[in-house]
Order: sequence, then structure tokens, then C-alpha cells
Amino acid sequence: MTTPQVSTPVAGDARASGASRPPAALGGRGPAALGRRLLRLLAGWLPALPLLVFTLGMLVLPALRLVHDTFALRSGGFGMDNIQKVADNPVDREAIANSLELGALQATLAAAFGMPAAWLISRMRVAGRATWLALMNVASNFAGIGLAFGFVALIGTTGMLTHLLDVSFPATGSFTGMNIAYLYFNIPMFVLLTLPAVAVLKDDWWEAAQVCHATRRQFWRRIGAPVLAPFAAAGWLLIFTWTIGIYAVAYALASGPQSVKLITLQIGATLESSVFGLERAAVLSVLLMLLAIVSTVLYRLAIRRATRWL
Amino acid sequence: MRSRIGSRVFLALLALYFALPLVAALLYSLATKWGDTVLPSGYTLHWWVDVFSRPEVSGALGRSLVLTAVTLAIDVLLVVPAAYWSVVHNPRIGSVVQTVTVIPFAIPWVVIAAGLQLIVKDTVPQLFGTFWLLAAATAAIAFPFLYWAVENSLLAADARRLSEAAATCGAHPMVTLVRVVLPAIRGGIVSGSLLVAATAMNEFALAKVLVGTRYETLPLWSARVFTSRTGNDPNALAVITIFTFGLLFALSALVVWLGRGKSASSTLALARTSSSAEKG
Repeated sequence: MTTPQVSTPVAGDARASGASRPPAALGGRGPAALGRRLLRLLAGWLPALPLLVFTLGMLVLPALRLVHDTFALRSGGFGMDNIQKVADNPVDREAIANSLELGALQATLAAAFGMPAAWLISRMRVAGRATWLALMNVASNFAGIGLAFGFVALIGTTGMLTHLLDVSFPATGSFTGMNIAYLYFNIPMFVLLTLPAVAVLKDDWWEAAQVCHATRRQFWRRIGAPVLAPFAAAGWLLIFTWTIGIYAVAYALASGPQSVKLITLQIGATLESSVFGLERAAVLSVLLMLLAIVSTVLYRLAIRRATRWL
Repeated sequence: MRSRIGSRVFLALLALYFALPLVAALLYSLATKWGDTVLPSGYTLHWWVDVFSRPEVSGALGRSLVLTAVTLAIDVLLVVPAAYWSVVHNPRIGSVVQTVTVIPFAIPWVVIAAGLQLIVKDTVPQLFGTFWLLAAATAAIAFPFLYWAVENSLLAADARRLSEAAATCGAHPMVTLVRVVLPAIRGGIVSGSLLVAATAMNEFALAKVLVGTRYETLPLWSARVFTSRTGNDPNALAVITIFTFGLLFALSALVVWLGRGKSASSTLALARTSSSAEKG
């Protein structure tokens, strides 16, 4: 690993070497001027080149490779056969349906619990708000394999709550069980994402509405909901995307009985067996990437709409 | 009045839901024996001593720490010069990098691992399954945390003007960087590094796919013990669970504490620290 030398501005003075300047300033033609332009371009990018090359190799190329492998056929050439194979495979179809359902349900539940929680927390005094922020921080750091263990210790067959209440909870690896565990980090995530937003809804607006003889219901329908809706939509999209992509908790929980099939688990299992059907992992990966791209674009739109009132 | 009681009950239930799994894991790490009862029959610190003296656990902890150190070194060496040059000389670097940061932010890490695995297998097979591949991949998914933090502190410190002032005084650019800019952005480097460290300590997907059992980190050890049907060892697992949680919580609390007062959005810092915990 070579350390990029920040101190080697090839084209002299720092201000003159700014690549954003039009290169015509020095004028002239021929190889000398071209060389100078190249040097200046290099000086503008050189210290960032290692990072750019590194991320190109480690992040961009893998993504492109997955797209390539999705369409590349064993027999040579390109086609839709790999996608067709995944679409025809009942296990993959089940995994895709489960992941989408889990993502949508999690995002909706996180919003349903997180929105009122964010609203109540934003209206607390400083001490209460700090306590709740700390609790959210605690909850969202209890993640991965440890979280799976925590839930098995709590509601597993010999779990604490199972004994205390003497009921049997849904298996932690089942669809319902996963939903119970995933909410543990998705609710705090939603609250943390929307807390800045609910502060937008200023108390003076409610007072102003009261002056105009608006009822509380009218205030919420005409002002509160329209202002908060884009923020809620943005939070929903992020939770949806992240939930579909989660691997660690899913892997741990799915080792239990009655476990549910998910896209990320199928990708992991395919890569591990590594003897057959790596293109299947590629197709499923590309599906996840597509979902991520679509929801990132929608997220940007939602945020742009939401920040009109800031 | 009714709605106030309702909201109290709602918040209390929520707090209970957040506390219970953590309490269950904590009790497991302190229990002598915990059979068919609500609470353990006795308490001991035995597991805490026992677990860390096991070679496989101390080995996994050591491997996780080495991975974290190497990941940090890669990220600091790559990110700081790029962010500096972007803020002081060429803002177009920043927009290119911001575009790239979307990849680890939005795309699942298991997908990135899949793509890397496919590439490495037939282009650089000598890297296949190695520690260096894992370290590089972890550095790649964690670098946005450092880049955002460093760029923010460069902008806050007005590094551009600092550099110009130093140049006017005749300081060599390298001297400017080491004696003027770096001290001014130390806070950003530290808090970004803490987030990178938290990510590297807790990362599971990349490690599972890229190295598997060849380089067992602490999360990989936890997963193996958790999923093994025979050698089930709940007390040891509980200790590591609480230990990992405490470590991550301390790191993120430190980030929040370092960023206090700077811009009112400490909740955003929190959201960022937790996103690193969640995606692992």
C-alpha cells in the first residue's frame, strides 16, 4: 500500500493547480501545452486516485461482475436463461416473496411504532429525550448474532419469557419470529431517522391553526400528515431496503427450526456450496441491487419533497 | 388525560421490549445454572473468566482486533488524502466519492461479498479466502463513515482557507498538512475511525462468505457456537454477546460524545452508528 503524497503538487502553486479552472489560461499549442494540461489534471486528482481505484475494484467491479454473470450463459453468449431458471425455481420464488414481504411488513411496523414514539420523544424535556436517545442507541447496537441469541434466550423454547408467561412463542426462525426480532433494530432506526423531521412540525403551527379555529383532527389532516408523510416515506424505504439485505441476524435465526427462506440466505448458501449454480447467486444479488437502486432513487425524491418545509 | 396515560403505557412497553432480550443475555452470562425456571438458580462471574481464557475465543478476539487495525490503516491512508484534496483543491473528487458511498450504504454486504468472490476466483485466485481480501473488503464497505466524518471536519475547519494562509506564510504543503490541517481535523478522523472500528469488529457477511473458517473472527465464532446443535454453549455465547454489545455501545457513545454541540443533529450521528451495527 503506497501512501499518496499529498505534498507533490506537480504543477506548482496550490491555487493554480486547481483542476476546476479552465486549462486555457496559459494558452499555447502543441505537446508542451498538452503535457501541462495532463499534469494539471493529474495534480487535481492524484491524492484521491488510490481511494478511487480501490473503491472501483472493491465495490464497482463486483457489482458489474454480478450483472455480467446474471446474463452470461454457460454455453457462451448472453441471455435470460439464468433469470428464467431462478424464476422457475420454487425455492427461490419462495425466498423472494418472503424477503419482499418481510421488508414491507418491517418498514410498515417500524413506521407504525416509530412515528408515535418519535413524536412523543420529540415533545419530551431534555432529560427524557436524552434517556430515550440513549436507549435507542443501546437497542440499535445490540445487533447481529448477539441479538439472535438474546431473542432465543428470551422467547426460545427454554427462554425466560417462555417460562415466565408459560406460553409458547412462535419459533424464532419462523416468519413471525423474525419479525419480532427485526423490529428490535428497525424501530430505533426509524425513530432516529425521523426525529429531526418531527421537530419540523413547530408548536406555533398548532397555535396558528387554533387561532383559525381548526380542530386537532383538522390540524393533523391538513398540516401534520402532509408535512410528515414524505419523511415517513423516506424512512419506510430505507428500512425496507436494509431489512431485505440483512444477513447476520437472519443467518443465526434461520439455523433454528421452522426457518424461513430469504434471498440473502439463499445467496450465502449458494456461495458456500460453490460447486453448482453460482449464477443463481448472481441473479438473486442483481435483484437485491435493483431493489436498492429503485428505493434509493425514491428515497432521494421523498427527501427532496420532505425538506421543502425546512 | 386518557391519551397521556396511553402514551405512557406505549413508551413503557417499548422500553420493556428493548430491555428484555438484553437482560436475558446478560443473565445467561452470569448464571450458574438455568434450567426450567424464570430466573437462574445462582450467579457467578465464572463464565467471564473462563471464556476469555479459551484459546479459540482469545484467538478469535485477536483476529478481530487485527482485522480492525488493518481495516483502519487502509481507510485512513486512502480516505484522508482524498478528502483533503477534495475540499482544498478539487471538489469534483467529492462528488465522485459521494456517488460511490451509495454502494455500501444501499447494497447488502452479502451481495458485495458475492461479487468479490466471483471476481477473485478467476482473476486473482491467490487472494481467494485470504485475510487481505477480507481486510480490503471490510475497508471498502466501511470507508464512507470515515469519508463523511473527515470531509465534514475539513469543511468545518475551513481547511481551504487554512491551507491558503499557510501557503501565504511560505509553508511547504506537507508542513501545512501535518502541522495545520491534521490537528484541525483530528476530531473528524477519530470519530470516523471509531465507526470504521465498530463496523470491522461486528462485520459478519463479508467474513462468512470470503474467509469462512479460514480466519475465524469473533462474529464468526459466535455464529458457529450459536448454530452448532451439539456443542451448545449458551453461557460462553452470552458472555461474548454482552461483550460485543458493550464494545459497540461504547464506541457509538464515544462518537456521539465527540460530536456533541457540533451541529444539532446528534441523532443523525446515532443513526449512522446504528446503521453500521445493523448491516453487519
